[in-house]
Amino acid sequence: MKTFTNRNPESVGHAVSIARDAIGGGRSVVFAGGGTDLLQLVKERIPNRPGSGAPDVIINLKGIAEMNGVSRRNDGGLAIGGLTSLSAVSANTDVSARYNAVAEAAVSVATLQMRNVGTIAGNVCQRPWCWYYRNGFDCFKAGGNQCYSVSGENQLHAIFGGGPSFIVHPSDVAPALVAFDAIFRVAGSNGERRLSADEFFVLPRDDARHENVLADDEVLVSIELPAASGNVRSGFRKLMDRATWTHAVGSAAVALDMDGDTCRSASIVLGGVAPIPWRVEAAEQMLAGQTITAELAEAVGRAAVEGAQPLAKNRYKVPMTQRLVERTVLAVAG
Amino acid sequence: MAVDPMKTLGQDTPRVDAYERVTGRATYNRDIKLPGMLYARVLRSTVPHAMVRRIDTSKAEALPGVRAVMTHETHKIPYGSGSISGGRQYSDPHKDITTRLRYTFNEHVRYVGEPVAAVAAVNRHIAEEALQLIEIEYDELPFVMDVEEAVAAGAPEIWEGGNIAHDSENRQQPIGGQTGDLQAGFSEADQIFEERFTTAFIQDAQLEPRSSLAHWEGDKLILHTPTQGVSNCRHDTARDLGLEDHQVQVVCKYMGGGFGDKNGNYYFDLIAAAFARDLGVPVMVELSRKDDWLGTHGRWHTVQDYRVGVKDDGTVTAIEVNGKSGMGPYLRRSGNVSGMDVYACENTSKAILPVHTNRMVSGNFRAPAYPQGYFAISSMMDDVAYKMGVDPVQFALKNMVRPTETKQFTNYALDQCIAMGAEQFDWQRRWNPNPGSAEGPIKRGAGMSFMMFNARLGASSAIVRAASGGRYTVYVGVTDIGPGAKTTMSMLAAETLDVPLSSVDIVWGDSDRCPYSVGESGSRCTTMTGFAVVEAARDLKRQIDERGLPTGDDVLIASATPAPSTNGKLREGFGAHFAEVEVDTQLGDVRVTKYLTVHESGRILNPLPALDQIRGAVIQGIGQALKEDVLYDTNTGHPLMTGYYFARHLTHLDVPEIENTFIETDDGYGPYGAKTVGESGIIIAPATIANAVYNAIGVRMKDLPITRDKILEAVA
Ligand SMILES: Cc1cc2nc3c(=O)[nH]c(=O)nc-3n(C[C@@H](O)[C@@H](O)[C@H](O)COP(=O)(O)OP(=O)(O)OC[C@H]3O[C@@H](n4cnc5c(N)ncnc54)[C@H](O)[C@@H]3O)c2cc1C
Ligand code: SF4
Repeated sequence: MKTFTNRNPESVGHAVSIARDAIGGGRSVVFAGGGTDLLQLVKERIPNRPGSGAPDVIINLKGIAEMNGVSRRNDGGLAIGGLTSLSAVSANTDVSARYNAVAEAAVSVATLQMRNVGTIAGNVCQRPWCWYYRNGFDCFKAGGNQCYSVSGENQLHAIFGGGPSFIVHPSDVAPALVAFDAIFRVAGSNGERRLSADEFFVLPRDDARHENVLADDEVLVSIELPAASGNVRSGFRKLMDRATWTHAVGSAAVALDMDGDTCRSASIVLGGVAPIPWRVEAAEQMLAGQTITAELAEAVGRAAVEGAQPLAKNRYKVPMTQRLVERTVLAVAG
Repeated sequence: MAVDPMKTLGQDTPRVDAYERVTGRATYNRDIKLPGMLYARVLRSTVPHAMVRRIDTSKAEALPGVRAVMTHETHKIPYGSGSISGGRQYSDPHKDITTRLRYTFNEHVRYVGEPVAAVAAVNRHIAEEALQLIEIEYDELPFVMDVEEAVAAGAPEIWEGGNIAHDSENRQQPIGGQTGDLQAGFSEADQIFEERFTTAFIQDAQLEPRSSLAHWEGDKLILHTPTQGVSNCRHDTARDLGLEDHQVQVVCKYMGGGFGDKNGNYYFDLIAAAFARDLGVPVMVELSRKDDWLGTHGRWHTVQDYRVGVKDDGTVTAIEVNGKSGMGPYLRRSGNVSGMDVYACENTSKAILPVHTNRMVSGNFRAPAYPQGYFAISSMMDDVAYKMGVDPVQFALKNMVRPTETKQFTNYALDQCIAMGAEQFDWQRRWNPNPGSAEGPIKRGAGMSFMMFNARLGASSAIVRAASGGRYTVYVGVTDIGPGAKTTMSMLAAETLDVPLSSVDIVWGDSDRCPYSVGESGSRCTTMTGFAVVEAARDLKRQIDERGLPTGDDVLIASATPAPSTNGKLREGFGAHFAEVEVDTQLGDVRVTKYLTVHESGRILNPLPALDQIRGAVIQGIGQALKEDVLYDTNTGHPLMTGYYFARHLTHLDVPEIENTFIETDDGYGPYGAKTVGESGIIIAPATIANAVYNAIGVRMKDLPITRDKILEAVA
């Protein structure tokens, strides 16, 4: 591990100013939540911020009280502080009552120990788990200029939205948040911004090195969930290569706004198959105004994978994702 | 041959050191602290094949806190003194004549992860920091990752003379041989079947990452290192350093798993010894988890082509296998594949070429040659059974090995294992005669396999001492890598002496204080060292009977170095496994819903750990069947699946309840008829799972591991 300076700010403003000053002084900076992702990279000297090498300064956010916990918002929605642990997110009854998919996604992450320590902001901002990047290859995600997976081992890589990097977005919680149109509240030296998922996550074709728009000095302060009606049923289903302690080979977050047996509107967002949480609008629209039957769910599954562009070794993900969507829709519809 | 109950043996007995282990009081290697000790780290090659053109360590040496840097330029220490390293039971004569010498650091680097330098410093962080300051320039060479490509014309030569590994006489010849008359066997056959099977390289993945702590007292080396055999490690180390055996003391009190990966010595033992000698202080070399992954070894991957001849009545008349095993660039163990001899067929031919590639090194992993061999031959025979329209259990009973005039066993229980397993598992009900025909996307299936595994006898030593007050001490060179050898040895002494277990102390894990033991490898510790304990204890009991228990400061001592033999009879442990799986043919998930085993392992000395050994081994076997791999990027020669996360080791949640029955026997050999347990459980687990998957989906999966992508491609 490279020697670094550890800083413990007590407010968001302080964290941002430490970052700004350090960057201004030519030092590289990272924020740490639970550190479950970050510290591995630091130990292995894998660039966390692309191109910047092992960090000179680690800004430990855990002392910032304002970033911890789930609170109700005036508009009937929730604000989840960036430092809230995944265990706390999944145990929160406001979350599970209205945003069940978020609770289910949070509880599907890694292991209990990791969920106790890992934060929701860290989960959303974790770096890719592509085996090239994690093994120290100098690919786009590390700041380099090529992707090794595209002509190499791409079994676990993207079937949607890939190129020039073909990572899959690793977060389990992100697809569930996106299914509820979450807003990402960000603070940096240029002030605060509130970003939709479309604005927050970036495809590699727009920026091959980063997964989101956060600048080096920007903190993800909280995630806001807009009010959801009591008629929304939601769920999250994750496929893994073992029963626990690993990321999704594919996941689906489904939220259905139901009116009796009729689906008013639907969100379907996929994880583990694209470089960002992947919304499948055509499939969503097929459900609007319909009674959900096995036949319809099957058609929705097919629509969800239309336009998939698998690589040489991940063709299996297309039928897998199709069936995953079909089954998750049926399960959530009940 | 049924076993009679005994006083201590056969009783569920918790480990004698369980308390120390679970309360954290047991001292594992990294817990040891010696005054003034330094810490060392190893720098590894980042290229798969190259000559080191230039290595500049000046910046590392200048870093405050660094005490020494070592490279191939400063130290040329043969490691293993040849290409097959190991202990005295392995390959001393070969080490004398080998032309393929491996050194602790090789100027010619042959895989990503090969040691190229080491740094000793006042703490591990400085040592690690210093590694980053070493500048290396390589002249890169073409590399080869695949066993078939490695032996093709024009392949990059990892060793002069080609990539086929040398045997013990420096010849490049396949392992195997012929029995009976293969051609006659095929002529006799009504049908001939051919199939290719492959198995992946998998890491032993023992929990405790490696470390080695060396210090010298005059010209004597004291080495604290996690090894499966202190005696073998001592001999290896002495040989590599040009010392006499008595100049090396190897100590290993507790260790966190070995699985064959901690057999003999390792290059980092030699690095620690050399640093400690040069610097005159104790030096501990530590491997990080990733180092441990790249820089130790795993099970050799294989390609196996089978040809089997069968008569219309279902009798197998000929078996031929030609294969290749990937050994990585250095030969550490044989590369053999086993399994054929569990069939009665007399006409056989086996030719397995161990092949060098630029992958990480292959070596022993729990039943080294077996799970990959049994996966292939058992899948092959399962396939033949279906094609002949025969129930696999009936096919097994018809074609399994049986005692004959020329093939005598000390006892035989294979038929019993299969029959009992089939009944307990309810094979008739669970097995689907029409594979893949189950309704719906989630398909159930059942599979079985059967095995035998040599329960070797051989030389080993033990000392047992009686002191006043009725205290007894057993001196044995075991280290206890998990199966509970310390407890077993104590129980054997207590039973033989007819005293309570609590009156027996044990001295273990120290080559200066304990006599020679084979150590814990090849499932031989109980049968060999255990037998020596019994013999020594019998002698001691005779002495006590004659002279009475010692009083005051007197002691009575007995030792034994028996070298028992079965006079040509085969001594085998037998087993049959049955599994039921559910395969989700839409999502690709495989769930093991039932796993049942029957083992005949002679008398079971301590049922508690014996059951755990079977279970643990089955778990590893299921992992090998369905998950584990170390994929390489073939464009760059780098491994991608390093560590527990990527290599997909099973978690508790992946594992079904594993039911086991031991059929207990006493064949009159070994310690009270005990046979092998430790490795038996893994041998047919991959085969059993693969056969069950076939029964579920109706497509034969011929390549391990049977992962989601392969299943979904197969049923697409
Ligand atoms: C073995 C293993 C298995 C895992 N399995 C899963 C899984 O199944 N599903 C899954 O989703 N994840 C998994 N993970 C990833 C796991 O690290 C995250 O789930 C965890 O939530 C990260 O949270 P953290 O607080 O520890 O993040 P950290 O490690 O602290 O940070 C992660 C990244 O986010 C940045 N960051 C953290 N907080 C902020 C903030 N407030 N503002 C801006 N940037 C920030 C850090 O700089 C860093 O780049 C796994 C990790 C491991 C090691
Ligand atoms: S997929 Fe992305 S992370 Fe993986 S090698 Fe390509 S650029 Fe790197």
